[in-house]
Amino acid sequence: MDLELYAMVFTPLAAAFFGAVFFRRSKWGAAVLSVASAALALALALRVMLSGAGDFSSSFELFKLGNFKFDFGLLWDGAARNMIFAVCFVGFLIHVFSVGYMDDDPDKGRYFAGLSFFMFSMTGLVLSSNLFEMFVFWEFVGFSSYALIAHYCGTQAAAEASKKAFIVNRVGDFGFLLGILYCYSAFGTTDFAELGKLLGEKPALANAAMGFLVVCGFLGKSAQFPLQVWLPDAMAGPTPVSALIHAATMVAAGVFLLVRLCSIGFLTPEVLDFILIVCSAMAFCAGLWALGQNDIKKILAYSTLAHLGLMGAGVAIGYELAMFHLTTHAFFKAALFLVAGSIIHACAHEQDIFKMGGLFRRMPVTSAVALAAVLSIIAIPYFSGYYSKEAILTAAFGRAQAGDVLDKAAFWLIMGAAALTPVYMGRLFFNVFFGKPRSEAASRARESSLWMLVPLAVLALYSVAGAWGVEYGMLWSGGKMSGLIPAAASDFIAPLLEARRAGLETISNVHMFEWIALAVTFAGIAAAYVVYGGGKGYDVLERRCPPIYSALRAHGWFDCLYDWYVAKVQQRVAVFLATAVDLLLIEFVCVRGLGMLCAVTGFGIRKLHCMGISAQVGWLAAGLAFLALLILT
Amino acid sequence: MDINSTVLSVAVYLPFACALALAPIMGRSGRLACAVSVFGTGVSGAASVWLWIESWLGGGAPGAFRFAFDGGAVLPFLALNGVSAPLLALAGITGFAAAVWAASSEIERKGFYLFLLMIMQGGLMGAFASVNVLCMYAFHEFALVPTFIAMCVWRGAGKRMAAMQMAVYLTLGALVSLVGIVALKIQSGAPGFAIYEFSAALARAHLDGEWQKYIFGMLLFGFGTLVSLFPFHSWAPRTYAAAPTSFAMLHAGVLKKFGLYLLIQFAVPFVPMGAVDWSHLLAILALFNVIYIGFVTMAQDDLKLMVSYSSVSHMGMCFLGIATLSATGVGGALLLMFGHGLSAALLFMLSNAVVNKTGEWDMRKMGGMYRRTPILAAFFAAATFASIGLPGFANFFGELSIFVALWKHSPWICAAAATGLIISAVYGLRAVARIFMGGENPNMAAAGEEISDLSAAQRVAAVALLAGLLFVGFCPASITKGLDGWLSTIPVYNLNK
Repeated sequence: MDLELYAMVFTPLAAAFFGAVFFRRSKWGAAVLSVASAALALALALRVMLSGAGDFSSSFELFKLGNFKFDFGLLWDGAARNMIFAVCFVGFLIHVFSVGYMDDDPDKGRYFAGLSFFMFSMTGLVLSSNLFEMFVFWEFVGFSSYALIAHYCGTQAAAEASKKAFIVNRVGDFGFLLGILYCYSAFGTTDFAELGKLLGEKPALANAAMGFLVVCGFLGKSAQFPLQVWLPDAMAGPTPVSALIHAATMVAAGVFLLVRLCSIGFLTPEVLDFILIVCSAMAFCAGLWALGQNDIKKILAYSTLAHLGLMGAGVAIGYELAMFHLTTHAFFKAALFLVAGSIIHACAHEQDIFKMGGLFRRMPVTSAVALAAVLSIIAIPYFSGYYSKEAILTAAFGRAQAGDVLDKAAFWLIMGAAALTPVYMGRLFFNVFFGKPRSEAASRARESSLWMLVPLAVLALYSVAGAWGVEYGMLWSGGKMSGLIPAAASDFIAPLLEARRAGLETISNVHMFEWIALAVTFAGIAAAYVVYGGGKGYDVLERRCPPIYSALRAHGWFDCLYDWYVAKVQQRVAVFLATAVDLLLIEFVCVRGLGMLCAVTGFGIRKLHCMGISAQVGWLAAGLAFLALLILT
Repeated sequence: MDINSTVLSVAVYLPFACALALAPIMGRSGRLACAVSVFGTGVSGAASVWLWIESWLGGGAPGAFRFAFDGGAVLPFLALNGVSAPLLALAGITGFAAAVWAASSEIERKGFYLFLLMIMQGGLMGAFASVNVLCMYAFHEFALVPTFIAMCVWRGAGKRMAAMQMAVYLTLGALVSLVGIVALKIQSGAPGFAIYEFSAALARAHLDGEWQKYIFGMLLFGFGTLVSLFPFHSWAPRTYAAAPTSFAMLHAGVLKKFGLYLLIQFAVPFVPMGAVDWSHLLAILALFNVIYIGFVTMAQDDLKLMVSYSSVSHMGMCFLGIATLSATGVGGALLLMFGHGLSAALLFMLSNAVVNKTGEWDMRKMGGMYRRTPILAAFFAAATFASIGLPGFANFFGELSIFVALWKHSPWICAAAATGLIISAVYGLRAVARIFMGGENPNMAAAGEEISDLSAAQRVAAVALLAGLLFVGFCPASITKGLDGWLSTIPVYNLNK
């Protein structure tokens, strides 16, 4: 089985290499190669899942220096299966979509090589058997994100955004790496299985400082406070990239890391409390900030931030909740971004939702997919998003019942986030699809090609029914499939969710709370319709209450703060050190000064030797006198 | 004498032979000179790579010198062990790339240029292949002097100062270390200057702690100056910015590693107690290289100075690896030396190409070059990512091993050094964005059609360097296997097992 898994990881790498080196100018070569490799990866993943192979791992020593061994291995367990299914399945569909979306792009070779390299890095990350190896793929994932954000590198926005994404992620990786080193020096291993064994025997070994350091990696990759600034800017990349990397899979890698660590008891309660409050606050704030955006991709980016926050909070409450929401989110958020891509492609790269409108008539399939995905994200019953979100909400409710102030605050923030989702999604939906076309481009929009519609339709299906298997069992094909996903992909979360639901039954008011949550959702839809519906063509808040709108638009002024730091602190310190210390003090005063001292001394001594005869006689006499003095005394 | 020792002698002496062959014709035929030097470095480079692969896959006793070539009374004795074999390959690959680059560029008095380059290349190969410290020293001078001449000949009067400064600095550094070497020979009672003579003598005689302290101090600051250890670094950026491309590649990529090589191969194993005494100060100074020089690099707008400073900054990581005095750290330092050698040579080559193509050195006046030179942009980005420690390139595993060792040494120093990850990403990616991305700068637009992409020969040079980086990046065992065997035989590197 491990042969299949190695092939699954490394085939996309080969496709990336050949695509970038040999098919750079080819019209279809790189695309064919890349889509084929993604299809193969998905096929191999399904084959291993359906073969009924249980958990296993394999590893070999990549190199050894002194006591330090770097092992390269693959770990195939429940969490990995779940994530691999999401990555390979959504990834494959987005590869297919890209063929249609990028049809007129001159740099297809670079684009598809980047996509394939991403598939390699992401599958490797998910299957990593130890933290060092995961860090390697973690960096690879960061690089592929950089390369794909920089796809339109002729624009200043893409140039800045790609750089920012990589550097902000590096800040997170700084802490992550130190955490890994700490872990290695404390436990002598970073292998997940061995760590699990050690911590299982002695849970007290878990260390809060180590946990906080490792969590820095999550904060960077999953764009949580205070490192969230890169994600909205990352929308400068092509839209399928935003769908695959910056919504469905890569940003969820941080959550996946937390799930992995949490399931072996690596994270202490202090760390989990920190994650809970930071992430639920982000879920709420990002929902608010989404209301200040007019760019369709930015709105979706903030909704991604909000949902990542929700997942993070989910990890703190119970990691299976996060994994569940990660899976359904991958389906409906990928669908939403691809809908955005389909619209942007049809509207000649117009991205302002207030310049769209009336697209329901012109793009019926895209609109139907959008409707399904929107209903899923705002958690309407029987749509897949409902199950995972409701699970987090009720669990947070249950926790707040018995918990302290922190738990209660987190609960209210999560509730706020849930209430905001229908508002900003309704704002987007009503303005894009209803009313009259408000721009030339929108009035000429046509439905996209089949390359794009087929992946959209599949994702719509999963947005609706992707969670039924987990929720209702629905086994078929001899128990190998559960609903729409392989049973092996959901056997990690299904039993844990079952147990949690049984546990929550004991808390009073749980069922009433479910109805209240549903009422809040519908109230949100109604509010969105009243405020933003009716095809006004402008943002009501922007007209009526500009200060609030601009405050939302500034998304917490973090960008201002960081720009100020870079320009006014970092650059000034750098220039000071370069000029005052390095150039002036070290180079001129010390080095050249020493040189000058030598030169002056030499000059003086030479002068002594180049005097007239009388002076020389004088020196001779002085020397003799000095000698005589020495001898006599 | 087996075949490999002949291969070793070819690797070292062929460049010198080429220089001899070039001497009579260097005034006349540029093309013949190009052919001779590319052939010479190509064969010698292939030989060095062969020996590296042999030392990886060939088995044999760990740590022993192999492929011994006895030149009798005429030529120096040559042999390789786990430390020197990869570095010889580094010199061979970089030398080939430098010669190909020179051959394919427009240079005045090309024959003379290549002649000097061949002498330098021979010196570099000899320095890593010798087992006798005095021979290493002599070969090092063979490599050093051509840089000085080349800087004076090809860059005019304005760069005289940089050339003089480099010569004074490096000669002083070499002299200080020579005093240390001689002192060690006398104190240990070794009959000669060969490495194995030192180790035999030191196995018998115990060297007094005070003496060890002084001797290691001299070796450290002597070699440290060669490697631009803070605060003796100020020669390096100006030298690299001023030196002609191929010489800058060889100097920053290979020659600079010589001081580190002698610290690892010679100073620390033979003066271990001295090394322990000095290691703390060394770590502090090296932190200055990483952080302080990192900040200085951020402030540079001149592309060549930026690349030069970043090279100085990365040396700090190598020093930190050595300062841990552990097999992991020192091994990581060697991996990083290999990776940095190739990536720095590539960066110098490409940044000189950028400067030559645009006629502009100020990065603020560049922008949007990607459309005109996609291949150059791709190579430059790859070199940048290699130097900022992306996995998949040799540098990453070097840095990772150094961090692992450093955490055991002191978590705080490790944390401080790890900020280098962020700092280097800031200046590296800023350079890529400023030069190649964004809208086209009006300056560049004015240059118009003249900006062309890399030629086929230049791509060969870049691919040679990149291939080495990627190979070790995906297969670090190719270096660490022989290296770890050698490290396990040196007691001081295995103290805290």
